[in-house]
Amino acid sequence: MPPETLFERITDFAARADPYPLYAELRDSGVARQADGSYLVGTYHEISALLHDPRVSSDPRSRAEPHEDPAATGLPPSFIGLDDPGHDRLRRMVMRPFGPPHSPHRIDELRGEIQRVAGELADALVAKDRFDLVDDFAFPLPVTVICRLLGVPEGDVPQMHTWADAVVAGLDFAPGEDPSPRQRAAREARQAMGLYLGELAEQRRRAPTGDMLSALVHEPGPDGALTRQELMVSAVLLLIAGHETTVNLITNGMLTLLRHPHEYDRLRDHPEEMPAAVEELLRYEPPVQLLPQRSPLADIEVAGVTVPRGAPLILVLAAGNRDPLRFPDPDRFDPRRPDNQHLGFGSGVHACFGAPLARVETHLALTTLLRRLGDLRLVEDSPEYRRSPVLRGPRHLHLEQHRR
Amino acid sequence: MHVVVDLNRCQGYAQCVFLAPRVFALHGEEALTYTPAVPRDQEERVREAVVACPVQAILAGERAGP
Repeated sequence: MPPETLFERITDFAARADPYPLYAELRDSGVARQADGSYLVGTYHEISALLHDPRVSSDPRSRAEPHEDPAATGLPPSFIGLDDPGHDRLRRMVMRPFGPPHSPHRIDELRGEIQRVAGELADALVAKDRFDLVDDFAFPLPVTVICRLLGVPEGDVPQMHTWADAVVAGLDFAPGEDPSPRQRAAREARQAMGLYLGELAEQRRRAPTGDMLSALVHEPGPDGALTRQELMVSAVLLLIAGHETTVNLITNGMLTLLRHPHEYDRLRDHPEEMPAAVEELLRYEPPVQLLPQRSPLADIEVAGVTVPRGAPLILVLAAGNRDPLRFPDPDRFDPRRPDNQHLGFGSGVHACFGAPLARVETHLALTTLLRRLGDLRLVEDSPEYRRSPVLRGPRHLHLEQHRR
Repeated sequence: MHVVVDLNRCQGYAQCVFLAPRVFALHGEEALTYTPAVPRDQEERVREAVVACPVQAILAGERAGP
């Protein structure tokens, strides 16, 4: 049966290469109730207000009909699926070894390592006539960096990679297919990864090594120490989130720059403009297209429509990012766009925890690629996409290189 | 380079502190402090912070103010 509702059409794989016309349709239709009782929001100001509204819950248990029992893993929810005050407490405890106020230098001190890994990966590409940017660069960089940050030994990185793949496959939507085998495999991978990271943290408790896991178990703040289970789910969250999203940001970034050769050349010659270009990429092709997990804690009114308590409320960040009421000429990729308060990292209390790391990684990745590589050409446009409409990006990005 | 932060706009996302921790600091959970006269070796990091600020509250220039 062909997809019928707007949400089915957005999640349909046929829309993956270019969902933006559907997002325009969504903005025009206001707050769109779907046949299954969920509500879609795609306009900037409404999304922004909802992200700051304490009546909007991120906890799957707030749904009138929970679609999956979060306790099925035997683990407590991570802070991404909790509301305040539980969310605030856990996020603050995990932030303590990651960023300000307690650890303001952690990410800055990682720059040299990120640059080294990006440089090595780029070196291996310089002599190739053809390569896959995803497998050969965009995937290995973030997984190596997040493992280094947490303190996962280099030899265990491939195992992390395998588990992360299974977890992400479990988040996928594939209409018409029974998702339960994938979801079961994802639960098992999540548990295995959690047990591994919990065990690693125990080793770090005995012998700290200066990484984030060591700091998590050794320097409890005023909130006390994380329980072993809290530590496991938080470390799994950081590993998965630090892995998948940045791959897509780097890949979408190269794809977009190659589609705009004038901007590519300009950024190669003016690398100081790359940080602003990364912000524009986060607006123009955000790696997290929509937030599917929200639901109201009370009946709330959004743009004249009442969204009932417990209804699935889906915030389409990528549609808000191209709302002409907020961004002039929104479908134009403009790396020098002023006033670029995009929704690429969300906003409000759940704003992306790893945003500063993603920014630094993508900035260094793209400047390194532009500086080191020869003239590149897309082998296919559009490339083959991953299935997920949420974490959207190419599965492979085959490039041809002509040495300069 | 001089820098000014509009503390009425600042919401404590602290992206500037992550990106330029020698110029910006968090005092407690939310109060931002900063060094208005930016050392030369920190200018590039401050430019990163300016564009990354989610509420666009940072103004940097050769001379701050009107």
